[in-house]
Amino acid sequence: MAFATEHDVPIPYMQRTRDYYLKLGYPGYRWAHFVDVPFTPLATPLARARLALVTTSAPYQPGVGEQGPRAPYNAAAKFYTVYSESTESIPDLRISHVGYDRVHTTAEDPNTWLPLAQLHQAVKSGRIGALTPRLHGAPTNRSQRVTMETDAPELLRCCRDDGADAVLLVPN
Amino acid sequence: MSLVARHLEANGLPTVVMGCAKDIVEYCGVSRFLFSDFPLGNSAGRPFDVESQASTLELALRVLESAPAARTTVQSPLRWREDAAWKLDFSNLERMTPEQIAERRREFDEIKAIARTKREAV
Repeated sequence: MAFATEHDVPIPYMQRTRDYYLKLGYPGYRWAHFVDVPFTPLATPLARARLALVTTSAPYQPGVGEQGPRAPYNAAAKFYTVYSESTESIPDLRISHVGYDRVHTTAEDPNTWLPLAQLHQAVKSGRIGALTPRLHGAPTNRSQRVTMETDAPELLRCCRDDGADAVLLVPN
Repeated sequence: MSLVARHLEANGLPTVVMGCAKDIVEYCGVSRFLFSDFPLGNSAGRPFDVESQASTLELALRVLESAPAARTTVQSPLRWREDAAWKLDFSNLERMTPEQIAERRREFDEIKAIARTKREAV
């Protein structure tokens, strides 16, 4: 069996981004880092569990510029508070407001960032008991303080209000 | 998003994160992580490939129900493409001309200004 090429490893995003911003003349970003990691075992078998979905994708907003496939980075499409949408149908959620890979991804198929259609299938097949009635949007505003002190507690409240037994989080 | 997962776990809700940025998620530390070695924007599977999207979700669910301890990462066996050259492109200064770097700087200033205005309006 031949060895893989040297660069065939998960992309070192922190190093790449650090070098990139330094070169652009900006101070380095400090990523969140912890030694301890909380862990809660799954108490309910998935076939009986109610699953919540949390996404970083943003509701489409008319009038704030391009948000479709191949749209350039669109900061005007960002959101700054937690939002909720029904999971009964598929809401129009986009990713133009985040730094996805614009060279190798066109953002044409929402199923690559929002696995809601697949979750509907999983409910139908009995793989999971149910979905919560709402999915929830987590803001990506680069303030770790706001995320920890405001957004995360709000998302916890939302998931609890919806009776979630477990949560699937999909960052982009 | 990892910060949110941690908060939910600390308050009694089991979580699983589906994502493409392995170093960032693991540096923060989450309980369960399904890593897809795909370009950012494809955490839930390959575009227009329902089979890949179904298997990505199924793996995440298996991680959710079977992870034995915190910091469990499982890597999806799916490959974006056979040639790994795409991994060299993301924000790689070695592949940019000085003009492209200057253009990126201008764009970044613009983006920051828009985000600031929006944030202050909330």
